[in-house]
Amino acid sequence: MICAGIDAGSRAIKIVLMNAKTHEVLASGHTDQGVTQAALAQRLLEQLLEQVGRRRDQVARIVATGYGRNLLDFADTTITEITCHARGVRHLVPEAMTIVEIGGQDSKLIRLNPQGAVRDFAMNDRCAAGTGRFLEVVADRLSVELGALGELARRSQSPAVISSMCVVFAETEIVGLLASGTAPEDIVAGVQKAIAARVAVMAGRSLDPPILFTGGVALIPGMVEALQSALGHPVAVAPQPLMTGALGAALLACRREGAARTH
Amino acid sequence: MKTIAYCDPFVPAEWIAAHEMRPSRIMPSTAPASGAVIGMCPYARSFVSEIASRDDVDAVVLATTCDQMRRASETLAKSSGVEVFLLNVPATWQTTTAYRIYGDELRRLGRLLVRLGGTAPSLDDLARTMAEHEAARSTILAAQGRLSARQFSQALADFQYGDKVDLDSFEPCARPRGVPVALVGGPLLRSHFALFDWIECAGGHVALNATTSGERTLPALFDRRELGDDPFATLVNAYFGSIPDIFRRPNSELYRWLKQKIVERDIRGVIFRYYTWCDLWHAEAPRLKEWLGLPLLVLVAGDEEGLDRRDASRIQSFLEMLK
Amino acid sequence: MTEPPRQITLDEWDARHEALRAGGLQEPFYGGPLRRHVADGDFRLLRLRFDDSAAALRLWNFLLTEEDRLHAARAAGKKIVGAMKDLGTVPVMAYSLPNLVAFYPDGAWWIPCVMELSAPVFRAADSLGVDESFCPVRAMLGAFVTGGHFPFPDLLTCSVGATCDDFSAVAQRLNGLGYPILWWEIPARRRPDADEDAIELPGGFRAPAAQVAYVKAELERVRESLDTLAGERLDETALAAGIRTANCVRRLLAELRSLVFTAALCPLPALEMLIAEMLAIHFCSDREETIAVLRDLLHEVKGRIERGQGVLNGDAVRVFWVNPVADLRAMNLLEECGGRIGGTDYLFCHALDEIPENLPPMEALARTALADPMVGPASDRAGRICREIRRFGAEALVVSRIPGASHCATEGDVIREMAQSQTEIPTVEIEVPPVCDSLQATLRTRLEALIETARERRNR
Repeated sequence: MICAGIDAGSRAIKIVLMNAKTHEVLASGHTDQGVTQAALAQRLLEQLLEQVGRRRDQVARIVATGYGRNLLDFADTTITEITCHARGVRHLVPEAMTIVEIGGQDSKLIRLNPQGAVRDFAMNDRCAAGTGRFLEVVADRLSVELGALGELARRSQSPAVISSMCVVFAETEIVGLLASGTAPEDIVAGVQKAIAARVAVMAGRSLDPPILFTGGVALIPGMVEALQSALGHPVAVAPQPLMTGALGAALLACRREGAARTH
Repeated sequence: MKTIAYCDPFVPAEWIAAHEMRPSRIMPSTAPASGAVIGMCPYARSFVSEIASRDDVDAVVLATTCDQMRRASETLAKSSGVEVFLLNVPATWQTTTAYRIYGDELRRLGRLLVRLGGTAPSLDDLARTMAEHEAARSTILAAQGRLSARQFSQALADFQYGDKVDLDSFEPCARPRGVPVALVGGPLLRSHFALFDWIECAGGHVALNATTSGERTLPALFDRRELGDDPFATLVNAYFGSIPDIFRRPNSELYRWLKQKIVERDIRGVIFRYYTWCDLWHAEAPRLKEWLGLPLLVLVAGDEEGLDRRDASRIQSFLEMLK
Repeated sequence: MTEPPRQITLDEWDARHEALRAGGLQEPFYGGPLRRHVADGDFRLLRLRFDDSAAALRLWNFLLTEEDRLHAARAAGKKIVGAMKDLGTVPVMAYSLPNLVAFYPDGAWWIPCVMELSAPVFRAADSLGVDESFCPVRAMLGAFVTGGHFPFPDLLTCSVGATCDDFSAVAQRLNGLGYPILWWEIPARRRPDADEDAIELPGGFRAPAAQVAYVKAELERVRESLDTLAGERLDETALAAGIRTANCVRRLLAELRSLVFTAALCPLPALEMLIAEMLAIHFCSDREETIAVLRDLLHEVKGRIERGQGVLNGDAVRVFWVNPVADLRAMNLLEECGGRIGGTDYLFCHALDEIPENLPPMEALARTALADPMVGPASDRAGRICREIRRFGAEALVVSRIPGASHCATEGDVIREMAQSQTEIPTVEIEVPPVCDSLQATLRTRLEALIETARERRNR
């Protein structure tokens, strides 16, 4: 029996197929987001099922999460990405107590209790300057790949100060900095610092380690270091940071399916 | 009868009514579609826009309970043709000077109402008006147990607006079953009532509406012994002396009141809501969270018309966590 | 022949300091090369341009050693009063008592600029949830939490009521952290109704007598606390003497402002004028030294005017500047764009007006406190600004928004509209964050456009 978790994020749709009994991941994959989210998700699901030689009717339960979850009408249940990321990260790192998730459009800080349930969370989805979007903007302005930003930031001697709270105005600042001769590495380091600072605001005065970093932005080199500096604690990148939401959704699907069968 | 509009809970409706004017506590419907100003509270902007668009208001009373509204009074005076009165409500509350300021300001408001055609009330008239208002308010409060949180909030808003509230016209609602939460923060717009529905859909129910539009800002019951002797002092004490609010310095009474109510109502989580650019509420969110020791969800209301759909997701996450 | 004055960098100050010392310069005990402050973390000095006079050197050293003075006062057994928000009233009372020193913790808002964000004050404020959407005065909260700057005051006072929300919120958070605060009420000043007794306030505003009475009652409460702290009564004689000394500072500043804003050639740069004006609010923790510093500056300015010397080009446009800047560099930028300071309202004009000496002292102080332009309607403030524009002959107006400050959302439009209609000078609104390097291009464009427009008007 299989269950599926689908994370319909702002940039990509991620799916995990899981053995409902053993919780073994049978297949996982992602595809870029688009206008027809449901169709894209269905297609990816079919591809993954084909990979493992299974059919759609063998999927016992599907849980959808992410911003686009309510558009996936073929899912059995929707659960928010807070709960799903918490579940997914905790499955991979059982001792995790705090999770930072930075995606393309938002950032979250999730605190867990010792049993792994969500105890508290904070989100920033109003200010693009605290999200991966900001890094996309700076990469575009500097004509570098997102993946190359980290290497660039490592060379910074003096991170630039980005004052604006809004990424639109911050882009103007970046232009101004470039025009005034500020080194690109200092600009990148300044942007990473600004994003990390916004996470630190969500963190408040106390944090419980271990802190795990997940989401697409966790894959961008340099961000871990920026976060560590802002939070004042060691931060580790979660295994498979792109997939933790879908993984958590799959685990929750398995749990719900198990509960339904018991009843 | 002339209509005196206001929005601040420290403006006593009884005082206006006793001067034979119609008090109308305006809850703006929604944020205006355009004209957002960086740094200006969306609520203040909504209220100004609402008043400026109406022709059924003869005067409007704003209060100094926040700098945004204090400054909005100037904007309103320029943009509308109505008389604008700024009621100086002191931030301090533990001194005789503070009480004197508030009392003097009510009297000054009274003089304006007389200039507008009202009648200065005798002590008996004032006492009677206060008793009538309290009786009507108590009827609404008594219905709280059988109305849903949304229904109760609407009933209260309609009552304060000056409408006759037919409590029997509300659909009977089942006993709330969801996780009891408190909604804490500044004032609501009418379009924000959907929040109650979202919370219920997500498996919660608002057992305590501690927003500025909710029960938190109702005046205390009038001291019946004092009412006969000195209704004015009774009025001052019931309003200025008892409403807990974020702007008070110190704001310890708000925390005391919240703690008491949270225990009474067995609240399991707090949904804390403030407007962008509202420094007074925004700054207290982390302190409230630490102090209450309960899960706290922060929602920020911006210049959008109606509610931000992303908040539905947050509420869902929050209730998932609480459940 | 005296060399023409000019603006120099910190590097140039090293050599200039040597030259001045060699020429016999006698410095006060806090004197010395400016560069030494960089070692303390004041990195912004490396990017500023300074007036090259000995008087300016004294001014800067005086400003940058204030924390040392506060710590020395504590070590000497003096009691320290941290006055918040009122900007000019409580220190007059505090300094009238012999063993009290007063300062404004609000001034910590410049720590992020002066130390170029190296001090963790903003991070501390962030951790308390007071993030960048608040005014940079949130640095004050951070300064208390980190404890790395001024000594903790023995008494904290804070005016509230008709004050900006962000400061009120920051102060309440401070209180919530366990710092006791004596809150005192400043009512929203309004014009008297026809049936009310009215009182003329310093600076030209009018208010109902009842409001002055409220403020007086509140200041009496403050006085009681100061008495308790000092261990002696602040009587009318002592307070009257304190007022006279405060007025000495205010008169010196009035003369300095008038000379600098109206001289044919600008005799003192905008940055030094900003620092000098700031001395009015709490005397930089040393009242007598403030007088000496201002006398030095005045002497220098008078000398330059006499000699027909200035620090800027003769065609610099006189700009009236509204609101203090979070980044001191912005004052240099004004001049680099072709402007000169030609009038100011840095939020504390009431601290520049003389306190009436022909009234009972507490009555006089209450009237002065209520004359704060920020506690009344923005139109009052705008009216005063327009009067000063005409008085000083300013040719342009800059409204400098303070990021996150609640009053800036709407008041800028009120001020600019009134200035445009009453004086017809060109106006611009800018926003200056604590470190404005990344916004130089944007700010420069706005200021240069303003200057060009003003110059064009001259030719008409």
